[in-house]
Amino acid sequence: MLAVLKREFKAYFHSPVGYIFMGFFLLISGLFFTLIDLVPGSANYTGVLANIIFVFLFAVPILTMRLMAEDQRLKTDQLLLTSPLSITGLVLGKYLAAVAVFLLTLLITGLYPLVIQIHGLLAVGEVIGGYIGFFLLGSVFIAIGLFISATTDNQVVAAFTTFGCLLLVWLWDAVRQIVPKEAAAGAIFVALLMVGLIALLYKATRNWLVSLLPGVLGLGAVVAIYLTRDYIFYGLLPVFFARFSLLDRFDTFIMGVFDFSTVVYYLSFAAFFIFLTVRLIEKKRWS
Amino acid sequence: MIQIKDLTKRYGQHLAVDHINFSVNQGEILGFLGPNGAGKSTTMNIITGYLSATEGSVTIDGLDLVDHPMEVKRKIGYLPEFPPLYPEMTVGEYLDFVAEIKRVSPAAKKESLEKIMDLIKIGEVRSRLIKNLSKGYKQRVGLAQALVGNPPILILDEPTVGLDPRQIIEIRELIKELGKDHTVILSSHILPEVSAVCERVIIINKGKIVASDTPENLSKRLTGGSHLLLRVAGRETEVVQVLSQVAGVSNVQAKGEREPGTVDVVVEAAGEEDIRRALFFALSEARLPILLMKAEDLTLEEIFLQLITEEEEVAS
Repeated sequence: MLAVLKREFKAYFHSPVGYIFMGFFLLISGLFFTLIDLVPGSANYTGVLANIIFVFLFAVPILTMRLMAEDQRLKTDQLLLTSPLSITGLVLGKYLAAVAVFLLTLLITGLYPLVIQIHGLLAVGEVIGGYIGFFLLGSVFIAIGLFISATTDNQVVAAFTTFGCLLLVWLWDAVRQIVPKEAAAGAIFVALLMVGLIALLYKATRNWLVSLLPGVLGLGAVVAIYLTRDYIFYGLLPVFFARFSLLDRFDTFIMGVFDFSTVVYYLSFAAFFIFLTVRLIEKKRWS
Repeated sequence: MIQIKDLTKRYGQHLAVDHINFSVNQGEILGFLGPNGAGKSTTMNIITGYLSATEGSVTIDGLDLVDHPMEVKRKIGYLPEFPPLYPEMTVGEYLDFVAEIKRVSPAAKKESLEKIMDLIKIGEVRSRLIKNLSKGYKQRVGLAQALVGNPPILILDEPTVGLDPRQIIEIRELIKELGKDHTVILSSHILPEVSAVCERVIIINKGKIVASDTPENLSKRLTGGSHLLLRVAGRETEVVQVLSQVAGVSNVQAKGEREPGTVDVVVEAAGEEDIRRALFFALSEARLPILLMKAEDLTLEEIFLQLITEEEEVAS
């Protein structure tokens, strides 16, 4: 794992990719720091962090597009997968290399709050909390990009798909505001989930009986609950969307609240996508 | 050393490898011969653990590949069809990286890499970027990569493809040299290459093994006696008539006029006996001068054709 991490980290700076990422990130963060803090003479640094989250939309695809895709194009995956190296180690090494480049960039932006500290009063706790949240959020996005990069051998496709997915995450809260909270909507949503589950079950077993039986039972239960106690479904859709809102939880950090459950939430999100990447690579060997 | 049992790889409906069985002994150089798409690369990819088999097993030194992937992978050095190189690294950096992922101990790393670079003769390009190297050097770096960690087994997929004739000879010599203390599986679609290097040949077509033998036995079995190509100055009917009467000749085939006033014929001898002198005397008696006489080599295509028709005859 360490060897892969080292190589990938160096590879970022053997090609323009690392410099483009850092340059873009530092340009935007510097711009916002100037506009929000320097010009008005404000000491509100967390506002800068909250405002530059959109950088991830453009910067993360640059950082992650080549991670897995390039090995498939160069056929170097044949070297990596035939060496005594676990797939988990390989994926983790690549992921941590991207995270390391991100962390390095973040450390450079640490100069900005330092400037505030020298000339004014810095809310140290909030800034540290904000940085932790910012770092965790970025790490989740990098994990998403890593997974998408493993689905293709074309870096451009990987970059655009990652951008699209992050855009979805970005718009998630806006969508959340307009989803209906009526019981009927909740019931239909659960029913649709059930149908998806049946499809998955059928795909895995290829047996109609095995997949239809629990499906019919489940759908029946949904209908029964809806007819007798429809308040259970009331507001279910907004709650569901809120559970998967990555940006929503970032606000707690900005407010200087260190919420351990949010840390676990972000870490498990990242772990989930890393796990998916490992599974995907393993599956490719079998196809 | 290597045991392959009922190895099968299925892509959807297509059988890329169809119940292959063979074994390789310690120190042997085995040639894997077959046309493009025969399943050579797929088989090698499975043995090295890059792909999973649909059915069957690969056992190396008594260790099953599926149960002990790490131990087995340590024993194998693999040069795939396209050498797996990182173009933005220098040769030295690249081999260093390979040594690290193959878990060569840091203490032994420097010395063993020096030895490999000496052997493969890539020492002088060690600080150059791989993307700037010629095809021949890239192939060599790929070979060097397979040797890192000193694995007892080498699997080389078309190691000489795309090289110029002088490089081909050098690489072949190198493989022979490596064969002295390694077990080697080598694939190729060129027959002379396999006969030049390998002690045993497995011919594979459409995912199945069609023959497995030493190169000598294989060509003997296929030709069933020797074929001679002759170019004789004279008329076709006359030449064919004279040749057919020579003792020991089983078949004469006219191949037409390639040079004005001459005729090319292929003469097949019935047994092992050398008929060249008899041909000479018979033709000179008839005052038909021989302008050219040579043993005719079978091309790979002809071997396949012959093996496949043989199989069909057995089947019917």
